[in-house]
Amino acid sequence: MSSPFTLNWADDSHDLEKTNSQFDSLTPDYLKHPHKTGTTLMAASYDGGIMIAADTRTSTGTYVAGRLTDKLTKLTDKIYCCRSGSSADTQALAAIVKYHLSFYEEEIGEPASVGVAANIFRDLIYQYKYSLTAGIIVAGWDKRDGGQIYQITLGGMLKRLPVAFGGSGSVFIMGYVDSTFKPNMTRQECRDFLVKGITLAIHRDGSSGGCARLATINESGVEREDVTYDELPPLI
Amino acid sequence: MSIESYNGGAVMAMAGKECLAVVCDKRLGARLTTIGMNHSKIYEINPYLYVCLPGLATDALTVYQRLRFRVNMYELKESRKISPQVLCSMLSNLLYEHRFGNYFIGGVVAGLDPATGKTYLYAMDCLGAITIGTEGFVTGGHCEEQLYGTCEALYRPDLGPEELLEVASQAFLSACDRDAGSGWGAFVYIVTKNKVELKSLKARMD
Amino acid sequence: MSSALLPPFPEPGFSFENVERNVSLVKKGFKPPKFTSTGTTVAAAIFDGGIIIGTDKRASAGTIVANKNTNKIHKISNNIAFGGAGTAADCDQMEKMVRAHVELHRLNSGKQVPVCVALTKITQHLFRYQGHIQCALIVGGVDKFGYHLHHVYPHGSSSEVLFEAMGSGSLAAISHLELNYKQNMNLDEAKLLIRNAILAGVENDLASGNGIDLCIITPSGMEHLVDYEIPVAFV
Repeated sequence: MSSPFTLNWADDSHDLEKTNSQFDSLTPDYLKHPHKTGTTLMAASYDGGIMIAADTRTSTGTYVAGRLTDKLTKLTDKIYCCRSGSSADTQALAAIVKYHLSFYEEEIGEPASVGVAANIFRDLIYQYKYSLTAGIIVAGWDKRDGGQIYQITLGGMLKRLPVAFGGSGSVFIMGYVDSTFKPNMTRQECRDFLVKGITLAIHRDGSSGGCARLATINESGVEREDVTYDELPPLI
Repeated sequence: MSIESYNGGAVMAMAGKECLAVVCDKRLGARLTTIGMNHSKIYEINPYLYVCLPGLATDALTVYQRLRFRVNMYELKESRKISPQVLCSMLSNLLYEHRFGNYFIGGVVAGLDPATGKTYLYAMDCLGAITIGTEGFVTGGHCEEQLYGTCEALYRPDLGPEELLEVASQAFLSACDRDAGSGWGAFVYIVTKNKVELKSLKARMD
Repeated sequence: MSSALLPPFPEPGFSFENVERNVSLVKKGFKPPKFTSTGTTVAAAIFDGGIIIGTDKRASAGTIVANKNTNKIHKISNNIAFGGAGTAADCDQMEKMVRAHVELHRLNSGKQVPVCVALTKITQHLFRYQGHIQCALIVGGVDKFGYHLHHVYPHGSSSEVLFEAMGSGSLAAISHLELNYKQNMNLDEAKLLIRNAILAGVENDLASGNGIDLCIITPSGMEHLVDYEIPVAFV
């Protein structure tokens, strides 16, 4: 049976509401647009593990609904995901994956591998690809394969990469990443690479902004770092 | 044109001192054509409790029947009469169940406690969002806007039954005269602790 | 248990029986109905003693003031409340559902219910209906983990905040909060901050007005200040 929501009733009513109301400008943005993390996400591997980074802006239409959002979401002790797309979709997905992983870890009695986490995401995003808007980067460290980065596209394709970037701001830093990233960087090199990337995207992408949040994941665990706006490297 | 105003019609309830006036117009229309001139929008739950369902007549009848069923089941199960608060919640929940694919009606619930003389007034929109009638009157239907104006101007607290009939009728007829979708006279229930009177008001037939 | 004599009870949950009819009515050119909207300014902040939530008191249906004495602060339990903006019916029913859920949780566990229980119920419910339940909420509360304030959007996303404004008057209110919010305010400063934020919404947004309600949640309980202020000049 087809869902009643596919009948386009909502779209119709929205259109007519617009012609209907003389006070259309009063209809707030949050009722017209879903909440999006128009985002810049980055992840890169360095010689001892991986690092992930994201900006902190959440927008609805042109309104900045969140200035200090944390888009780096913890899944297990050593696995994180970076969320881009609809924040409702990605928050719900992350909660579901987190639940599956904790259940799975309980069953096998050891930490889940990063690949498992990424594949649960892939499964869900592929299965519901027509109703979800979610671009996810899963990154973490496990005993078998060390630091790993997986990217899941909107369509539900999974790919393991040494360096990944996502979100609306990623288009502005493709060239930067391609020319700057090199394998086996030191941790400090990797950190500077990511912060610079996020800064470049924040400056060019209207839906990315705020500060930069970073996380380093390696054998010894997770370290978080928040870089405030005035600490971001200056651009010429 | 909104489907809620397809059949026209307006309702109002006003509270006095230990008395209550429940008013509706008599028109049943089909867009601009009048097809009925004796159509009540007030449904009696019991002599002290009334529900008015202005809006699309077909939905009003359906909702009334479904509400009646739930009221009867409630009264059988609980072995007591339904109170205005419970009836209001019941109607609100019934309407909200149809949040997606709503009924095109409003709702007004008016009740009087025969023991204490306390009056209860509630209004709701087509999704069941309740407004408590703390100001002493509630309105609904096609000329809701006009009714707000006339009621706010004419209403005084603690009116006796005779005065209440006068004030409620004047407020209601004045509002209806400024609306092509309602009119053709009005029914007024005047509810007091020991008596219910149904009056039929004559008005302009155009 | 049903027969011709005893019709079945309706299934719990939403009924979609009228959806196709209503869609076809809209296609025929009838305007869809106007739902009562809270048309709200709601503002909230964390202060050094707990949480403060404030709202205006107007509900509007299009350009009509549908209710001049609306309660937009919804109490969930004696340590959790939310301020609601959006479709009035959705906010009201959300309160009923979450309050029942939290109360059952309290009776089952015998403990004060943490804020995240209410928050999870709200976000999962909103996410299930994919933004069609139109309420934007600020959920605040105090529990053994501390003071919590979250904003929740209709599609089911949420985020923890120090202060937030929502509703049609939120742009004016958030400007005031952004400018004047300080950490570690005392109760009087917090009251004044929220009062002024709501006032900014009321004066700049046609759909907000008719007075201010405040709700203060502290570890010792909840204080609901109905009609904290109704200046005559409020239009």
